[in-house]
Amino acid sequence: MTKLKYERPLIKKMNAGMMNKFGAQRENTPVTHIDGVSVKSIIEKYGSPVFVLSEQKMRQNYQTAVRAFSTRYPKVQFAWSYKTHYNNAVCNVFHQEGSWAEVVSGFEYKKALGNGVAGTHIIFNGPDKHIDELKLAIENDSLIHIDHFEELYLLIDTCAQLNKKARVAIRVNMDTGIYPMWDRFGFNYENGQAWQAINKIIASGKLQLVGLHSHIGTYMLSTAAYGIAASKLCDLAVNCKSQLNTVVKYLDLGGGFPSANTLKGAIGLVKTPSVDEFAEVITATILNYGFKTEDLPLLILESGRVMIDDAGYLLGSVLANKTLSDGRKATIMDFGVNIMFTSFWFDHQISPAQEVSQFSEDTVLYGPLCMNIDIVRETVNLPLLNRGDHVVVHKVGAYNMTQWMQFIAMRPNIVLIDTNNQTHVIRKAETLDYLEQLEVIPTHLQQNK
Amino acid sequence: MIVSFFNPYAGFTGLVAVMLAIFLSHNTGLNKTSIENGTYSFNALIIGIGMGSMFNFCIAFWLVLSIVIILSVILSVIFQSRLRPYGLPFLTLPFVLCFWAVLLVAKDFEAINFSFRNIYWLNDAYAIGNQELVSFLMFMEKLELPALVSTFFRALSSLYFQNNIFAGILIAAGILIHSRIIFSLIVIGFLSAYGFNNIVMAHPEGMNYYLYGGNFILVSVAIGGFFVVPSGHSYLWAILSVPITFIIVMALGTIMAQWNLPVYSMPFCITVLSLLNFIALKAPKGKMVLTPLQFYSPEKNLYNYLNAKERLLNANHIRLHLPFIGQWMVSQGYDGNITHKGDWGKALDFIIVDHELKTYHPYPATPENFYCYNIPVLAPADGYVQVIEDRIEDNEIGKINQQQNWGNSIVIKHAEGLYTKMSHLRQNSFKVKTGDYVKQGEIVAACGNSGRSPEPHLHFQVQTTPHIGSKTFAYPIAHYIAKTAAKVEVKEFSTPKETEIVYNATANTTIKKAFEFLPGFNLSVAAESMEEGKWEVFTDAYNLSYIYCHHSKSVAYFKQNEIMFYFTAFEGDKNSLLYYFYLACYKIYLSTEPAVAAIDKFPLQLTKNTIAKWVQDFVSPFIIFNRLHYESFNEADSKDFFNSGITISSKQILHLPSTKKTVNQFTIEINEDQIKSFTFYKNKKRIKAVCTPREY
Repeated sequence: MTKLKYERPLIKKMNAGMMNKFGAQRENTPVTHIDGVSVKSIIEKYGSPVFVLSEQKMRQNYQTAVRAFSTRYPKVQFAWSYKTHYNNAVCNVFHQEGSWAEVVSGFEYKKALGNGVAGTHIIFNGPDKHIDELKLAIENDSLIHIDHFEELYLLIDTCAQLNKKARVAIRVNMDTGIYPMWDRFGFNYENGQAWQAINKIIASGKLQLVGLHSHIGTYMLSTAAYGIAASKLCDLAVNCKSQLNTVVKYLDLGGGFPSANTLKGAIGLVKTPSVDEFAEVITATILNYGFKTEDLPLLILESGRVMIDDAGYLLGSVLANKTLSDGRKATIMDFGVNIMFTSFWFDHQISPAQEVSQFSEDTVLYGPLCMNIDIVRETVNLPLLNRGDHVVVHKVGAYNMTQWMQFIAMRPNIVLIDTNNQTHVIRKAETLDYLEQLEVIPTHLQQNK
Repeated sequence: MIVSFFNPYAGFTGLVAVMLAIFLSHNTGLNKTSIENGTYSFNALIIGIGMGSMFNFCIAFWLVLSIVIILSVILSVIFQSRLRPYGLPFLTLPFVLCFWAVLLVAKDFEAINFSFRNIYWLNDAYAIGNQELVSFLMFMEKLELPALVSTFFRALSSLYFQNNIFAGILIAAGILIHSRIIFSLIVIGFLSAYGFNNIVMAHPEGMNYYLYGGNFILVSVAIGGFFVVPSGHSYLWAILSVPITFIIVMALGTIMAQWNLPVYSMPFCITVLSLLNFIALKAPKGKMVLTPLQFYSPEKNLYNYLNAKERLLNANHIRLHLPFIGQWMVSQGYDGNITHKGDWGKALDFIIVDHELKTYHPYPATPENFYCYNIPVLAPADGYVQVIEDRIEDNEIGKINQQQNWGNSIVIKHAEGLYTKMSHLRQNSFKVKTGDYVKQGEIVAACGNSGRSPEPHLHFQVQTTPHIGSKTFAYPIAHYIAKTAAKVEVKEFSTPKETEIVYNATANTTIKKAFEFLPGFNLSVAAESMEEGKWEVFTDAYNLSYIYCHHSKSVAYFKQNEIMFYFTAFEGDKNSLLYYFYLACYKIYLSTEPAVAAIDKFPLQLTKNTIAKWVQDFVSPFIIFNRLHYESFNEADSKDFFNSGITISSKQILHLPSTKKTVNQFTIEINEDQIKSFTFYKNKKRIKAVCTPREY
């Protein structure tokens, strides 16, 4: 007979509050396996904490998104947003599925090239593109999305130097009725800067205007805003054709579709719109805008989060339990905000990874850093956990593995579970050697000669 | 023509007669195409030859000749306009009537004398040639050929008012080179007449050569392969037509003898017109077909007919497309075993599935969670919205509504008697209303789960009546891509099968624009050591589009639809650049997705002159064993969505029973939405032709 698990005693206030149809919000259904692989075995093999990515889920998400758009619109292309997750293995999953690359910096651009993405399938976004990077992008016929007039002039000069026409689009920002308005990126639609930029591009004769781009925000919960964005881009495209005799070949509606995470401060259950709902609004707007069938622009989407967020898990372990000064319970985990940046935005769902009793309590979840900000969840209703118990943090696939820091603790392994339920390390845990690799100690400071 | 110059007088008169007839028809404003085809002048030619060989030249002769030619043109116009509505040719009717008239009156014109040159034709030969020619001709005459063979040659020579073996041999050789089918029909006609005569013993001493030539042989050719597409059946009729002609010849001969008039080709005209009219009215479809478009060669007629039957059968049909965007699966095909039964069997059900063939996600299975639910449904072709039913609520999954079987539906009228219906649509999803005109591809509603539909799917059927609930009618989808586990295929005028994943192909804008030849489009085409092409696109009165080369006077007819460009015919100079362009771009798939080859067949007359070709020609009415295939492939840079440059490579492959070989290889370079150049092989040398759009 196995030894029964110890559970510390618990005193809980009776709460006979208003009934609601969801019952008390409890997150204590244990998640013991991910894609058929046990959490315990993963931690045994790859340590704790460890990030786990489900290849199957990524592919499913991609196919779902493609299906949602391509059954509503004849020409659709997705471009994998590198900043969301630029681990090469992950990028290649999406490239294998047919995705182009959307990059926002020179190193991302080179990463995409390194992953075998054709230059013509790389969209180069971002406000800070260096001249050598621009040259590379021009040479490769990549799609350069211009962010400001300075960049526009730089491009015109560079193209003149290289004697090659660059394929460009402009990023357009606009009022889509949502707050905050992302008007710091690209050219504004309402004040005429966007149209002015388009005119300058055509007039320069050095650039080929191929597309229009907007990216109205992130984690957008309003589908209507995309309808407005699409119709404003269509308006520009139609004017390009009628006034400048230039056919705009693609409209890039950017990304920003939400995953099913819970934003901090969200009250109750906010239903996030599905990709289908966004697809419905965007495609209907473009199809109804009156393009001739052969002039229908390609619709590009740069979704990142909705493709990968729920394919990513963070597995961790309990370090200690405490009772705080005000009597609240606190649990200290071996992962913190250093590797889970998104805990600043989301109340991530956290599940125990082993069988638990039916009892649960409200707990503050801290990370292991000796920094006061290292709070994973301010309050979460969890079953009673002991040191060494494992938890699974859900929907952490997006942004965490690009925005993480080695601060106090180093970055752990990333493990991919492939479609045959086999595990692979796709990024090794960092070591001290790795950390010190780039350090240079001036001679006068060297201690061990 | 060369042969008729054996009697140079006759040849000369023939030439004059033709020129006169052409001059006349031009000045009376007759149809130019008909004039160019010789419609109004070929009767004049025979009259000219006939009169030239019968009378001595003098002023009166030329005057009478002119008057008769005028008469023949007038008769030609009248017969043409009376017979054309029945699809019948007027043959040599004007000639026979005019010539009878001439003969009846000539002896009364004292100024005109009968010539006896025909009898003393050796004198003429001596006059033109010299002793050698005469002795050669004498040698030929004395050649001891079997009676059957010599009769055959003499009969042939009589076609051109001659009576000598050598002319007959020349004519036979000429015919053999021109057409194997005509040659075999001539032999058949001759033997049939010879045999019939031997049985009935109408002319125990042997028949007049002119009878063979002017009537029996010509009837055999006309029925066997000229006015009828050659086939086993036409050959049988050719054999049978000769005895019919025989009887008419005898009967008419007896009547005309009273006025001392020969029957000439009147029996031929009577038999051919009667038989053709009979065939047009009564012959079972497909077995005997009147030549749809006359190419003046039975081989061409046959090969073009067979080719058109394979390629262009559907060219004028209304093109229906799949009524949705993206990839759907056929969940139930024609005569499926769920609901597509009996009179309602020719229908298709479509659903959307994922990689695991699941139809919904996530759990639970509510209509909203089905992939196809609320996905747009399109008009399959242009038409008027005939009926809309939009009052039925969606079912819960697993339940069906048998009261309102079809659920929310739309019926679109594409033509008289051609309607499509889509059913089980979502309530309140209609974007159009009854009476609206919709374009192909326009969104009309969204897929739903109303009516007899246990889970969301799209029901599509073609019908001949405009009601919801009409019986189905089998009608194919014009063009789509079908994906199975094994392969991806382009389908044309086909019906999707159960479990196939199907979708509409999308055209590649670059290729499509490059092949968008609109009337008035001009192109200069230049290649080393070839005559420059000066091409212009026209559309004729029958709405057929063609490229015309102003230099080579060649014409290439083409058709294009949303996904294909293809040539349908070429007439003219086979050394012209236009001809090579016709071969190179015989069929172009205006798409690059998926990357599949466009495959087609050329009409067989394009094969080079070889033994295999001659053998094929001889047996072509019965069996086809040579094939001339075409293949083209679009080598788009799949890495470049904007496709500034695309190369199309194509080739012509000859399939013989035992071997196959590539006859020619082509490439077509497209850049900036234009055809920039194409290459081909001529005399084993690769030639590049550069195309430049011409400004006015």
